[in-house]
Amino acid sequence: MSTEQGFLSRTFGDSDDLALTLLDNMIWPILAVVILGVLVFVPQTFRSIQLILWGAVPIGLLVLAESLCLLSGHFDLSIGSIAGFSAMFTGMLLGTCPSCWGVTTSPWVGFGVILLTGSLIGLVNGVMIAKVGLNPFLQTLAFLIVFEGAKTAMQTQPVTGLPSLYVRVGGTPNLAIGVMLVAFLVFGLVLRYTSFGQAVYALGSSEVSAREVGIDTERLVIVIYTISGLLAAIAGLMLTGFVGVVPPLIGEGLVFQAFAGAVIGGISLFGGRGKITGALGGVILIQLVQSALNNSPAIGATQIQMINGLVLLGAILLYNTQTKLRSRILASGAT
Amino acid sequence: MSVEDDPATTERETAEEEAAGDAGAAASATPKLRAENVTKQFGRIVAVDDVTLDVRPGEIFALVGDNGAGKSTLMNVLSGVHAPTEGQLYKDGEPVQFSNPSDARAKGIETVYQDLALMDDLDIATNIFMGSFPKRGVGPLRVIDWNATYERSRAIMREQLGREMDIQTEVEFLSGGQRQLVAIGRALAFDPDVIILDEPTSALSVDATRLVQNTLDRLAEEGITIVIVSHNIESVLEHADRIGVLYQGSLVDIMAPSETDLEELNELMTTGTLETGLLDD
Ligand SMILES: Nc1ncnc2c1ncn2[C@@H]1O[C@H](COP(=O)(O)OP(=O)(O)OP(=O)(O)O)[C@@H](O)[C@H]1O
Ligand SMILES: [Mg+2]
Repeated sequence: MSTEQGFLSRTFGDSDDLALTLLDNMIWPILAVVILGVLVFVPQTFRSIQLILWGAVPIGLLVLAESLCLLSGHFDLSIGSIAGFSAMFTGMLLGTCPSCWGVTTSPWVGFGVILLTGSLIGLVNGVMIAKVGLNPFLQTLAFLIVFEGAKTAMQTQPVTGLPSLYVRVGGTPNLAIGVMLVAFLVFGLVLRYTSFGQAVYALGSSEVSAREVGIDTERLVIVIYTISGLLAAIAGLMLTGFVGVVPPLIGEGLVFQAFAGAVIGGISLFGGRGKITGALGGVILIQLVQSALNNSPAIGATQIQMINGLVLLGAILLYNTQTKLRSRILASGAT
Repeated sequence: MSVEDDPATTERETAEEEAAGDAGAAASATPKLRAENVTKQFGRIVAVDDVTLDVRPGEIFALVGDNGAGKSTLMNVLSGVHAPTEGQLYKDGEPVQFSNPSDARAKGIETVYQDLALMDDLDIATNIFMGSFPKRGVGPLRVIDWNATYERSRAIMREQLGREMDIQTEVEFLSGGQRQLVAIGRALAFDPDVIILDEPTSALSVDATRLVQNTLDRLAEEGITIVIVSHNIESVLEHADRIGVLYQGSLVDIMAPSETDLEELNELMTTGTLETGLLDD
């Protein structure tokens, strides 16, 4: 007898099939529950949906960067640090604060410099990992520390007096939200409809196989980290615009939220699985929790970081459960 | 039900006869693939030692030998993974040089690797067309045509591999034999006239072996030349048109299955000659 459409359901039974689909898309029911919870307990959070989305822009771009790395079976701990360093470095060039360098006041030079800085740092990450063979965890951890340190060494005061056009990109809510949504749209399409995108999934699924089918995996890894750095730099630009100055702590701690967003959004920690739409859901969820915490009279600003940590732990636990369920369903279906 | 049920099983006998007939008729033609005095050394190890070998169009040529005999190395020379240290390759009588697998691919030679090179998280169709996605649109807007990808994978599965499979199934759900088929399907996506197959050393189940062998018979019948490294001598005797025996890097014999048997092949593989084997008895 021949196997036709839907052999999954016939092999494993419809309930398992459904369970697998649910596991792959669990962000949406979770998001629905969180929205309900926020509506009930901190309804004032929803006073401005635009504000929630605007606040989500930097973290959204970082989640996108992390998702790309995770999908390819890699990861990048340095994105928050790259965002902060690129923004601070560029701010020092453009700003008029007492200790600023004040090299230029052209916003266009500013855009170029910030994007180039982030991309270059990402490029070095990629080369160290793909060519020199360093472990991605160690390489990007080192750069997390290096560039956070470099940022602090450069400046410990807010950098002010930035060109208005430079600040306006991230400072205009609808423009900033548009940038994030376009970035997600472009990445969603690129991952789905280009050989590059499918190669990212292939690399994340099996590096050896990817190489054997003729994918230049070293080059791909370098490109992925470079894009990650570029996205982080855009996040830095958006953070700058959101605040109007470059705050000294810019970018710090954001990588963990980026991880949480990507993982809750269904991007596999081990590569090869996950959808960009899910990651966007993860972004909204993370930002919603953030806004609710900010709006909640019961929770002080000093406690937020701790709660963020718990959210990350929750995301990883959720992911763990998902992986276990998956392998159990797989095992029960194996012949 | 078992997903191993094979509609092609009933066609096995006829496929075999025809494949044998084809090979007979083609014996005098230009070899599809020729290795002439090919040697491959890794440092001081001579993995392949002065091998001269003709593979005839449309035949199933099986290469057997003990572990470390040099089978994979010889296959890797034929498929462009390794450049030979010495010697010359010919494709359809024309001298060729491969410095990487893409060069071999350009000449219509596809390889199925010992580890199959599959991506477990991706579905069958994506695995088949990874590296050769059908595209649509123009210029920078040339994008993967998923409809064509699915349609053509389904066609490869149905028409060339004789299987009806849900091509949106992720590869991690497949059995050993089905994984082999997907790997062969990927080779077919490039529309090759030679497929080189280095069979996994880890034994396939009886069903899976039969499935793969039937598939190869079918492809040979279509006119595709198959070079296979096999660890299953019985199956080789049943399905191959000719069998080459490698012993410590040298090609010690080439014969038709009708000229030999299991015992003789095992002896050749382990001792390199038949006389020493007799003395040992
Ligand atoms: N890349 C390499 N570098 C060094 N030596 C190698 C390399 N590849 C193979 N060899 C050596 O060449 C010899 C032949 O190896 P090969 O893998 O071709 O054998 P094989 O017949 O395929 O064995 P098996 O049945 O175990 O797959 C072995 O001695 C092996 O150690
Ligand atoms: Mg081998």
